[in-house]
Amino acid sequence: MLKAPSFRASILLGCLAALFLAAPLFVGPYGLKFVTRLVVFSTLVVSLDFLLGLAGLVSFGHAAFFGVGAYAVYFVSPEAASANALLALGAAIAASAAVALAIGAFACLTRGFYFIMVTLAAGQMIFSLFHDTDIAGGSDGAYINVKPALAAFGSGLLDFDDRRTFYYVCLALLVLSVLALSLLARTPFGRVVQALKANEMRLSALGFDIYKFKLAAFAVSGAVAGLAGGLFACIDGFVTPELFSWHESGLAIMMVVLGGAGTLFGPILGALAYISLEETLKSASLVGDLVASHWRLGTGASLIVAVLLSPGGLAGFFRGAARTRKPTPARLGQAPLESRKAATLATENLTRTFGGLRAVDGVTVSFERDRVHAIIGPNGAGKTTFTNLLSGALKPSAGEVLVDGRNVAGWPAHRIARRGVGRSFQRTNIFPAFTIEDNCRLAAQATHPSVLRLANSRRAQEDTLVQHALAVVGLADRTQAIAGAISNGEQRQLEIAMLIASGGGILILDEPLAGMGPEETRRVIDLLLALKPNHTIVLIEHDMDAVFAVADTLTVLALGRVIAHGTPEEVRRDEAVIAAYLGGHAPRGARP
Amino acid sequence: MSLILVQILNGLQYGLLLFLAASGLTLVFGILGVINLAHGSFYMLGAYAALTLTARFGDIFVALAAGVPLAFLFGAAIEWLFIRHLYKRDHLQQVLVTFALILMFDEAQQTLWGNYPESIPTPSYLSSSISLTSDLGYPVYRIALMTICVLLAIAMMFVIQRTRFGRLVRAAESNPEMVEALGFDSRILFRIVFAAGVAMAAAAGILAAPVESAYPGIGDRVLITSFVVVVIGGIGSIRGAFLGSLLIGLVDAFGKVFVPKFASVLIYALMAIVLVLRPSGLFGRQ
Amino acid sequence: MNKPPLLEALGLNVCYGASHVLRGVDFRVAPGETVSVLGRNGMGKTTLLRTLMGLVAPKSGEIRLGGVSIVGWRASAIARAGVGFVPEGRGIFPNLTVEENLVFAARPGANGRRDWTREALFDLFPRLAERRGAWGDQLSGGEQQMLTIGRALMSNPSLLLVDEATEGLAPLARDDIWRTLGLIAGRGVAIVIVDKNLDDLKALCRRHVILVKGQIVFEGTADGLVAQDEFVRSQLGL
Repeated sequence: MLKAPSFRASILLGCLAALFLAAPLFVGPYGLKFVTRLVVFSTLVVSLDFLLGLAGLVSFGHAAFFGVGAYAVYFVSPEAASANALLALGAAIAASAAVALAIGAFACLTRGFYFIMVTLAAGQMIFSLFHDTDIAGGSDGAYINVKPALAAFGSGLLDFDDRRTFYYVCLALLVLSVLALSLLARTPFGRVVQALKANEMRLSALGFDIYKFKLAAFAVSGAVAGLAGGLFACIDGFVTPELFSWHESGLAIMMVVLGGAGTLFGPILGALAYISLEETLKSASLVGDLVASHWRLGTGASLIVAVLLSPGGLAGFFRGAARTRKPTPARLGQAPLESRKAATLATENLTRTFGGLRAVDGVTVSFERDRVHAIIGPNGAGKTTFTNLLSGALKPSAGEVLVDGRNVAGWPAHRIARRGVGRSFQRTNIFPAFTIEDNCRLAAQATHPSVLRLANSRRAQEDTLVQHALAVVGLADRTQAIAGAISNGEQRQLEIAMLIASGGGILILDEPLAGMGPEETRRVIDLLLALKPNHTIVLIEHDMDAVFAVADTLTVLALGRVIAHGTPEEVRRDEAVIAAYLGGHAPRGARP
Repeated sequence: MSLILVQILNGLQYGLLLFLAASGLTLVFGILGVINLAHGSFYMLGAYAALTLTARFGDIFVALAAGVPLAFLFGAAIEWLFIRHLYKRDHLQQVLVTFALILMFDEAQQTLWGNYPESIPTPSYLSSSISLTSDLGYPVYRIALMTICVLLAIAMMFVIQRTRFGRLVRAAESNPEMVEALGFDSRILFRIVFAAGVAMAAAAGILAAPVESAYPGIGDRVLITSFVVVVIGGIGSIRGAFLGSLLIGLVDAFGKVFVPKFASVLIYALMAIVLVLRPSGLFGRQ
Repeated sequence: MNKPPLLEALGLNVCYGASHVLRGVDFRVAPGETVSVLGRNGMGKTTLLRTLMGLVAPKSGEIRLGGVSIVGWRASAIARAGVGFVPEGRGIFPNLTVEENLVFAARPGANGRRDWTREALFDLFPRLAERRGAWGDQLSGGEQQMLTIGRALMSNPSLLLVDEATEGLAPLARDDIWRTLGLIAGRGVAIVIVDKNLDDLKALCRRHVILVKGQIVFEGTADGLVAQDEFVRSQLGL
């Protein structure tokens, strides 16, 4: 989660702000232009950091939005008069947001390497569109003859032609952008965006439509980049296709990483450091002719050294020491009080094939409320595939998944989650950078998972949900611990708390006891028994003692098929089960 | 009719060159897991090496014979100096370091060879044209170029499919740790794969030099188009890179004739269509 | 133990980030000896094997193979010194054929002998001979497991590390694997095996070790396991 700058960083930012404010007083015209460029680039990299640092989406086409913003100002500027400054910047923002939506519609379908490449290619596509055709002067670029200005009641308020005025406009907009994006990061929307970076799969299992969140973050970031581009066009009054070039995108990424991604203020330091480095290496009077004439060599080498030696970026140096709290042992909280939107879950002839392999083969089962249903079977029996089919993480090849009688087969995971199906994962699946409380809050937020939630209007309700869920699993006294730093057993408890907070009536737990000691195992078994009223619990587990202690029904899968189904007593006596799975390992007393 | 024939040949020729560059890129990403933005620079350096070596030895094929081993050594050195530090880093840092490498290679190119386009002579014995139809000729050098590219492609496929080294490469693509645990030093394997990728990109640059000459920024175009090829073909897939390259070559050649101003846009549009239909490329693993 | 140890680990400590996975483990394997490593999930069994293989670097401690310290060696060097690895999840190369998977690491053993050849392994696993042209990912679980064991044997190791070789297999396929492991042990290859099937392990192994939270809490023979039945069952969660 985005943290407020540490004390040291705040001091640094304060000094920086004072420096920027006072800069026009002691620099000449060239210097003023230089700091203006610096401020505008800072706005660009801050917008990129929102996408790259907070949402974890590495956009390599960010210059496209920058360029679109610049060209938008060119297009709305009349031939021989100044455009309205609000109109010009508004056009820059609107145009780049629109282009970001269009590119994002494709890019957000992909992830990782493909996302980087698609955004890169999209940027190049816009570059060639402006470079190869005659639009706005083609490859030569075009001049904005008269820069935008703002007049009210007949008198001029702001004139972008006045360098000093324009500089302060840019500075104000930079500050505004940083504040706006920081605030956005703290809204319910922003919380989901930051969770994207950690774990997309978990988010959709909670009921969030991650595509929409990615697209929205992409558009927001693109709009702010467009604003920066619009301002950039007003510095020299000149636009050129080079603005779209992937070198610009690369430089922007470089500044973000150099300054420290995911901090929103760090990239400003990165821009400052990079641009200063470049200017220094370029000026022969400081470094000598030889270095100055080969400044890119020096820049490249410095960057490689910086990246290899300091992965955390400049902001890392100013980060306060992490607060560490001594972990307090977790304890079991009170039983759940309220009833939830519980539901029945059933499958009808459910099948999933991978190539020729039938991983799940015609499974028909039903799970009722107020019961714990265990699914057991040897590894490779199709248990995890079955779980993924129930939760929508995989689409069935055939058959039905019925939630309260409604067939949800083929629905995306987030829609199934919204109907009340919550699941935990085999490998613990939490948001490690978030606190325990924020993990749960994110889950609680899933009861209203709209993209457009900017206000914390449901805060009180969510607080209740979060506190209740944490109390139930026994983590109530550790709400501020960072989830990535707590023990494996506690992470499992947290995962169950998230399921409770998200309000699911059907809880699918995939090996919740894996890797737990006897102590923790007992605690989770008690927890499951406490949750049993008002929930439908589907438990996939290897620990036979636990399964026999807690389950009301047992379903045994082998090679994708149900080979037995019934009460633990019935299954325990089933010859086929003993042969296929329990073997010599049936709990004592159950041996034939 | 003859125009179409010529464009098909031009498209194939461009596609084959692209394949030499893109196959290295896809292997390096598929096996080493590194996004190498500097890959285009090796093509560019190949083209300039062709300039110097042809001036020295007088023949582009001698330049090829000398340049490819040099490029291999150069690639191994770059891997040792920079790339090997990136294997365990995230994509972002890989992008940054290789981007910084581009800055350095561009500077080196400008310092060594200057800022102006330089043409590289075609060997005199291949400077004629053969007639395809009664009124249409096609330069012999381009035919030779295509033949060499096809031979190199076949040689590469042979090495990957039929040799012990190719077995290692394919195995490392699916499970590099297991390759190590079976007694093969993955450091050496990775270095060879990277150096081979560099050598192939440089070979493409050298072969292309007499046709398209050497100029600054030549690497950028190849890099970005190669990435499009990799995305279309599917990461790590040599077969995908081959089909993707030919497809892009043909689309580009015909685009330049029928919609000259939108030829490059066409390529990206093609990529967008492929991604929507098959999100992990034509031959990518789902 | 009269023979000098083939493999010897002393005071082994392994950490993943903040979690301390192996805590001062002492572990010995004599030439040709079969040793089982037992314990619940998450107790450090796989980590122990991976550390011995050189895939995980220990924080402290000493590992000697035939008297030579191998701490800090790459896994490839340890493999060449005579350790074969059958990993959890099998690690078949899906884009290589059965035969290619098998001959992948063919080499004479550390003693210079070639006891295990392609022909010998096709004799041992006739099923693999039938499917020699199939791709790795077209095999059933049991066939994949045979292939993994065969692949490890092709480097003629003096020690085989086997991690969960019967997990997820049908009963008949399991029996096959156990029978094969017995055969391999009979040919003088030392085996360290992690598995959950206690009865089969008792039949195969001469010595048993139980790991709990990264420490060895029991070390002894099958008779010892029976003698301490109550304790063993509680530690293994049976």
